Amino acid sequence: MSPPQAPTDPQDEPSTRELSRLAALLRYEILDTPDEPVLDDFTQLAARFCDTPISLISLVDDRRQWFKSRHGLDVSETPRQISFCAHAIAGDDFFEIPDASLDPRFKDNPLVTGEPHIRFYASAPLVSPDGYKLGTLCVIDRKPRLLDLEQRDALKRLSRQVMRLFEERLLTSQYAEQAALHQALLDGAASAVVVTRADGRISRINALATELFGYPEDALLGRVATSVLFAPDSLERRAATLGAELGRAIAPGFEVLAAAAREDRPEIREWRLRHRDGSEVPVLLSVLPIHDERQQARGYILSAYDLALQENLQLRLHRITAQVPGMLFQYHWRRGALGAFPYVSEGVQQIYGFNVADVTPSVEPFLNRVHPEDRAALVQSIRESAAQLLPWHLEHRVMHPEKGVLWVEGRATPLRQPDGSVLWHGLVTDISERKAEQLELDRQQEMNRRLLDALSEAVVACDEHGKLTVFNNTARLWHGLDAHPVPPERWPEFYHLCEADGVTPLAPERVPLMRALRGERIRDVEMTIVYNGRPRHVLVNGDPMFSSDGKQSGAVVVLHDITERKRIEQLQRDFVSTVSHELRTPLTSITASLGLICGRVMGDIPEHLQELLDISHLNSIRLSALIDDLLDIDKLNAGKMRFELAREPLPPMLEQAMRSNQGYAESHGAHITLSECPPVAVEVDAMRLQQVLSNLLSNAAKFSPAGGEVTLSAKRHGDRVRISVHDQGKGIARTFRPRVFQKFAQADASDTRQQGGTGLGLAISKELVERMGGQIGFDSEPGKGACFWFELPCHEPNGGGR
Amino acid sequence: MSGLQRILHAEDDPSIQAVARLALEMIGGYQVLACSSGHEALQQAVGFAPQLILLDVMMPGMDGLETLARLRALIDLDRVPVVFMTAKAQPEEVEQLLRLGACDVIVKPFDPMQLAARISSIWEASRR
Repeated sequence: MSPPQAPTDPQDEPSTRELSRLAALLRYEILDTPDEPVLDDFTQLAARFCDTPISLISLVDDRRQWFKSRHGLDVSETPRQISFCAHAIAGDDFFEIPDASLDPRFKDNPLVTGEPHIRFYASAPLVSPDGYKLGTLCVIDRKPRLLDLEQRDALKRLSRQVMRLFEERLLTSQYAEQAALHQALLDGAASAVVVTRADGRISRINALATELFGYPEDALLGRVATSVLFAPDSLERRAATLGAELGRAIAPGFEVLAAAAREDRPEIREWRLRHRDGSEVPVLLSVLPIHDERQQARGYILSAYDLALQENLQLRLHRITAQVPGMLFQYHWRRGALGAFPYVSEGVQQIYGFNVADVTPSVEPFLNRVHPEDRAALVQSIRESAAQLLPWHLEHRVMHPEKGVLWVEGRATPLRQPDGSVLWHGLVTDISERKAEQLELDRQQEMNRRLLDALSEAVVACDEHGKLTVFNNTARLWHGLDAHPVPPERWPEFYHLCEADGVTPLAPERVPLMRALRGERIRDVEMTIVYNGRPRHVLVNGDPMFSSDGKQSGAVVVLHDITERKRIEQLQRDFVSTVSHELRTPLTSITASLGLICGRVMGDIPEHLQELLDISHLNSIRLSALIDDLLDIDKLNAGKMRFELAREPLPPMLEQAMRSNQGYAESHGAHITLSECPPVAVEVDAMRLQQVLSNLLSNAAKFSPAGGEVTLSAKRHGDRVRISVHDQGKGIARTFRPRVFQKFAQADASDTRQQGGTGLGLAISKELVERMGGQIGFDSEPGKGACFWFELPCHEPNGGGR
Repeated sequence: MSGLQRILHAEDDPSIQAVARLALEMIGGYQVLACSSGHEALQQAVGFAPQLILLDVMMPGMDGLETLARLRALIDLDRVPVVFMTAKAQPEEVEQLLRLGACDVIVKPFDPMQLAARISSIWEASRR
């Protein structure tokens, strides 16, 4: 047997044409598939028509011939080397071997020499549309013969039908594959997809669509998409606007979607579709036409992106932004372009008076509402923020259409975008109220400042750390300095602060502001400010300052200039002192002369002169006493009276007082007794103590009735001793009591003359007692006499005097 | 030794000078040389040979203190006590006068009836 022309040996290199033929065969996916009755019909028909016992549909691959259908033969394949078909497909359209045993190509073929003992073979090739011969439809007989023309034709026609069937199955499988792909694409889509035919009837929907609209697929297929999924009123509205755009009437049905899509104006639009349960489904809907080969719309793809999630997010954002007092915004700016607001919250109404629905991203309407005086600064501040990527912050005015001029505060953080533009996220808040408060505060502060500067008093304040915060005009004038960051311990040195004497530098802890800072309340503290070598005497009042939470926030002092007052006081004192001395000199000679006359030194006095001379003498003595008292008061007031304090035992001093005043008392018909005295010591100036006791005892004697008793006593009360002088006079009138210790105060004006007092004794006594650390007072019930007393701190007697 | 007889009194105020002289002469029976100034006291001091000198502190020209200092060069003040009369009665002033050599201080206004007795006791004290 000789091999066919086509290379059939597997060792041989197959030709390119043969490789393409094999690929074409594989594409039909028929090899090794099960038997099919529809193909068996063809082999039976062929066998019957050609009157042969065997008929096969044989396909030839690289190593065998495989029978898709066989009639009259049991084997399903034979090797390619011995196959008749391999020869047939290499040849022309029709292939016939009348007697194989006589054909040199086949006489040794095992299929000829053995089973099935082939003598006759005829075949028509199975030719693919692209011209490849995939195999044959063949008929076989065990005896030699020939087909007539009719039989040949039938075999050819049958083979073409077989091939057509193969072709159809290939298309079907390709179609199934594409359909599966389409479904996978549909089901994999992120949108709900509804596919319609040209008239809008739904042909397919994906899983998301059934989910989104709540219908099972069956319930939608065949129904017009717009009548089942769309609200009629929304269709009508859209039909009207679209009609106006296109210049022709649009029916409010599926045409609303189709018209634009068909005219190659595919659009994406928000719709509120209807769920099966009647609720609204917000979607972003795109409509795309499906064109056939002739560019006719065969249908439409409606792709609906669910906006509910986004709406929920927006709702949440809206709820959040509604809580924010002010306007949240995004502001976007690109070099060389006007800025824009991609987002503003509803607060835009509150800040700019724009309805949020009317807001466009454009920056211009916003800028127009900014106060003209603030616009340049606003633009500048945004530029700077963009250039340096620094947070934007600006207080400015906005002209609100209803509320008038608002003060607003804007804050935003810039972010550089990949394209070089800048996006800010920020907030604009209404600070009008705060601004008004601040302006009011500024106004008050301004008034305070003016007030402070208008004061003739100096006012100085510091914060809790001792930093000087207020230093008014007067303070600057007096110190010749302004507030400097000088630590409190250096204040005396820096601001030339001295004690009241005008020379001793003030110790830092004695500076009134420092004391007030330490919580002390300062009242009438005297000190001096020495500026240009001249002391300015000031009286200082001060207080610590507290914040509303009770913490100390600093201290303030007010300095009142008393230099002039002190000068006048000094003049007065000099005057009093001078006058007193000038008076005393002539008075000394008058008193002394009268003393000599009344003392009969110059001889007897005529009786009718006696009384007048006595009156003159007594009154000249009173005048001297008055001048002495005046000088004492003056010294006390001027602080010039020196006290020689020493610790002295009390009893001997009381005894001495009793003795020294007994004569005077007796001249008034009274008697002094010392009733009791504890053995204590007091720290006093003995001479001044005697002066006090003399005042009290002589007063008591003067107001005693004839034969009256004046009782001097002392009693200890804890660490103090009370010395009392009790008389049996008529007591102190209620109305007079408040004035007892005032200068020149006497119960009635006539007393002075009648009782021969100066009216200064008790005032002097009070001063003296207080200077010695004591207190003076009196008890009196009218008719029961008066009791004047004073108390002094007392010590154990063995403490001894100094 | 003899008792006190001669007193030199320097006082610029003629009235006080007169009253004091009267009191000392009439009550104490002393011989008083009255001078109107410190200068005059210095001029008279050696010739009069006073046994006690009574000096007013405040005198125009030369005050009592200067007079005392100059007197020291003329007479033996250890033997002649000097008593000041002053209207300035502050303790520190009195102390100062005593420190400068005064034997005692009599404060104005003085009781003329007691003046002679006071001078006498000062004189007695200075003798001891």
